[in-house]
Amino acid sequence: MRWATRAGIHVDRAACAWLIRRFVDPAAEFVFVTDPADVPADATPFDMRGVALGHVGGDCSFETILRVHGLDDPVLERIGEIVHEADLDDGRFDAPEAPGLDVLMRGLSMTGDDERTLAVSGPLLDGLYEFIRRRLLLGREPA
Amino acid sequence: MAAVGEWVLLAYRLPREPSGPRTTLWRRLRRLGVAQLGDGVVALPADARTRESLEWLADDVLAAGGTAGIWTARPGTAAQERELAAGMAAARAEEYRALTGECAAARTAPAAERARALRRLRAEWRAVGRRDFFPPPEREAAAAALRALAEAAGDPVAAGRGSRS
Repeated sequence: MRWATRAGIHVDRAACAWLIRRFVDPAAEFVFVTDPADVPADATPFDMRGVALGHVGGDCSFETILRVHGLDDPVLERIGEIVHEADLDDGRFDAPEAPGLDVLMRGLSMTGDDERTLAVSGPLLDGLYEFIRRRLLLGREPA
Repeated sequence: MAAVGEWVLLAYRLPREPSGPRTTLWRRLRRLGVAQLGDGVVALPADARTRESLEWLADDVLAAGGTAGIWTARPGTAAQERELAAGMAAARAEEYRALTGECAAARTAPAAERARALRRLRAEWRAVGRRDFFPPPEREAAAAALRALAEAAGDPVAAGRGSRS
């Protein structure tokens, strides 16, 4: 399936793309557009104005995708809180990881194109997932 | 700087009732540190982030039954832009002064409370920094007050250093 989002991706869109590929559609192909009118007819848009998979009721797009696709996973829920704070920084969650994730993603977008940001952020988010999974299992910081 | 910069504007109208969405919008605009140009018109220096932030707020306004539009604009004169920037810097200066005062008050608090205050005030410093587009001198005073509080709290890391995000 094809998925479309705005070019110049930052933390929310990078995390959404990772989420889609890992948990929704392993064969996902991503298209980056500068104008919302350029979204291909066969692509599902996300993190864009006026689409279903966008910011809804104060949630960031990552949280919206979790809800819409019924991804009931406490690890993903926690990553959603981190992405929320990295993207919106409205103090809704206590997420000390968020400022670090935000600057890493912004730095990536300064040094490469969107394809590369996705390629590099994927393994980072895989690592974040594993770290949080172990932390939830152990109930403390994993070694 | 004689040339004026580009600004992104959100022009909106929101029904007076219910008041919930108005309050939420007001809080979010405040968090972004917008300049109020008029009734229902706010502005930020244009970049990808500020534009996106205002675009999402425009959607919130539409969802609440209002009307909203995003514009990019240039001030007609450099003087007008300076005035806008000065107003925004003054608003941040006020926040940095409050932060400085809170740091000073927390330095004499009991140890546990001091550590808690340090965490809270560091987060506050970052939040103010994110909406600080024209840093006033008060920023440095607040950074120094945070460092002093960090020392008093026995925190080895100097507060505020490089924490602008």
